Amino acid sequence: MRFKSFLLAASAIVAAVALTSGAALAAGDPDKDAPLAKLGNPPIPADNPQTPAKIELGKLLFFDPRLGGDASTGCVQCHEPDQGWAFSDALSRGYPGTVHWRNSQTVINSGYLGKQFWAGSAGSAEKQAKSAATGAVAGNGESDVMEARLAFIPVYRKAFKEVFGDEWPKISNAWKAIASFERTLVQNDTPVDMYLAGDKKALNESQVRGMKLFNGKANCIECHNGALASDEKYYNLGVPPAERWNEDGLAQITFRYEQFAKGVTQEMYRKIKDDAGLYYRTKQKRDMGKFRTPPLRYTKYTAPYMHNGAFWDFEEVVQFYNAGGGSNDFTDGTMGKNKTTILKPLGLSEKEVADLVAFLEAFSGPEITMEKPKLPPYAPLPDVANAN
Amino acid sequence: MKHQRPQKTSRRGKTVIGAALGIGIVAAGFAGVTANAVQAAEDGFGPVKPLKFNAKKAELGKRLFYDPRLSGDAALSCASCHDPEKGFSDGLALAKAYPGSDGFRNTPTLINTAKRAAWFHDGRLGTNLNDVTRESLTEDYSMNMDMRLMQERAKQDPVYVEMFKDAGFGEPSNGGIRNAIPEFLKTLISKGAPFDTGKMSKAATRGFELFKGKAACAQCHSGERFTDDAVHNTGVPNNPDIWKDPVRHTTYVAFAMFMGVENYMNVRRDVGAHIRTHKADGSDIGTFMTPSLRELKYTAPYMHNGMIKTLEEVVEFYNRGGGDDPNRDSKLKPLGLTSAEKGDLVAFLNALSGDKLNGDAYVWKKKFPSEYAVIENWRKARN
Repeated sequence: MRFKSFLLAASAIVAAVALTSGAALAAGDPDKDAPLAKLGNPPIPADNPQTPAKIELGKLLFFDPRLGGDASTGCVQCHEPDQGWAFSDALSRGYPGTVHWRNSQTVINSGYLGKQFWAGSAGSAEKQAKSAATGAVAGNGESDVMEARLAFIPVYRKAFKEVFGDEWPKISNAWKAIASFERTLVQNDTPVDMYLAGDKKALNESQVRGMKLFNGKANCIECHNGALASDEKYYNLGVPPAERWNEDGLAQITFRYEQFAKGVTQEMYRKIKDDAGLYYRTKQKRDMGKFRTPPLRYTKYTAPYMHNGAFWDFEEVVQFYNAGGGSNDFTDGTMGKNKTTILKPLGLSEKEVADLVAFLEAFSGPEITMEKPKLPPYAPLPDVANAN
Repeated sequence: MKHQRPQKTSRRGKTVIGAALGIGIVAAGFAGVTANAVQAAEDGFGPVKPLKFNAKKAELGKRLFYDPRLSGDAALSCASCHDPEKGFSDGLALAKAYPGSDGFRNTPTLINTAKRAAWFHDGRLGTNLNDVTRESLTEDYSMNMDMRLMQERAKQDPVYVEMFKDAGFGEPSNGGIRNAIPEFLKTLISKGAPFDTGKMSKAATRGFELFKGKAACAQCHSGERFTDDAVHNTGVPNNPDIWKDPVRHTTYVAFAMFMGVENYMNVRRDVGAHIRTHKADGSDIGTFMTPSLRELKYTAPYMHNGMIKTLEEVVEFYNRGGGDDPNRDSKLKPLGLTSAEKGDLVAFLNALSGDKLNGDAYVWKKKFPSEYAVIENWRKARN
């Protein structure tokens, strides 16, 4: 029932992307950078169409801590609406008795992403929900016990029947409903969207200068491109390892657990001291320390930044790029030399840094708040005559 | 043997044999049983022979047994349900469970558990305590522990690093934990019961004769632990609390779902060992392992679901011929015991409880650290 293991989708697509991003880069721009664009509506998978009843059910389930091992840890515990639908610490809080090992990402606009999690280990929002609910340092729930709980909540029985035709609620449909709800958490009318739609007053002068730098001298557009401001590709920028691993026993436990759980070799388990990112999926050395370009939308509310929360505000992030990125075990030769060649010192002035920061803020509109819904109670099931 | 030599044949003409014959079944009219076999059966009754164990491994197992870091949320230990003050059970009709779940069975004693042939009330694990330890640690409604995380927690504790090494397990590991806890359980052996020390009262001595004879308890309660290690249906009534409480019921549903119980949403009884044999006619529904009768003084209430509160009521239950169940074992018949006889049987059952195993040998009394130690110079240290 338990022995969990991560299914490694070593997809050919990922490998191909990794190949092109290495060799070709030295020769210059490897790919055409889609310009920043107004964000449309999120794609809806054909096998999980949106309906109002499903979205409403998904909202309840998103906020319901009974979808977790100890009935205290649901989706919302690491994706708090008032913390940018993420978690405001470098590393996400993790299941009671643990701490997570990566920064919690916002749910806002996650429905646009082709793959979920920092290294793209889930191919859909549906799979992300299940993976998070069952991971030992996240929800630590078991599918059977979570499915059993749903059956004892009359409101859910009725809703699963209406939405999915389930005689008894199926846990796989819970993940579908949650994904549907998440696809409604969209922000596509930010100052950047309005500016690109023709409202030239949507950005102030500093922000307009910042956008020029973004597309030009600072070359952010190389990866943060298109409507999401992300190419959804994987890079090693030399982000330093999480400080907490040096100073907190709880974090050291989780760090080793992740190596064990992700199936690295014994030799690597013994010596690794940083998060190898995409490597865990592909097991290719060239992918060590690579993480997916995060979208820049809604980031005003989601500090700290990077996969391990290394930077606490936009200015730190911009200065990191201004210095040409950083260094870690997978860039300095300790375990790899995978730093992306895209990054070079930028030579930005103080004023230019300030303009870029101002522009980054324009990727966020008003904060999306939501009151936590009242959760439906358990009730006993009616008596039945036993067959024997 | 220190206790009074038992009668070879009961007044009702049934010879009582037990596990020493390799079977837990007896029918009327075994007039032809040889004297040797009867002798063997007699010799099967206690005391419980101690088991050899490795002291360092057992000491490590003891610390692990009491360590709450061995559960998913680091708040429950084995001892949370298996309390040494209560004969390594919990005094509740139905066990507690991991937060978010609640138990649907009575917590069994762990005293002499290392001698069992099969574990849990349904006997679903018939291999060894290593597997039982794994099941109890990882099951979502018991300790909900991902063992990979458990291993890393143990590695983070310098006391464990030292103890595992001393015990010959190398560095802390899942395998080491699953070997050390069973080693500790081997130390939990009954001792000092009046039955074993020859200090039974007259009433208890009379009760022993009834036990083997008129009351025919020894048909199933045989051997040094007074159990045939087999399953029977005695018709213990359903415990309505399981089905009235949605959280308990969810826990049973999760269990039944995983165990492949058909139509599990519409079952309102504990099917027992049916999960092992899945007989199509359902004749195995409601069968449970014969419990040991040792240490009953500490382990009330009784039966797999805690439905009987006292030993007097247990005796009365059997005096009536067991409970009401179409699958009830045909060996159970009304016994026609007088009140004096019932009193004698209870006295005998009480004489099977020994010393409380609550001294330093059985309890880890030192405190556990409230935080995990930091591995200094972490970047240079080997994981």
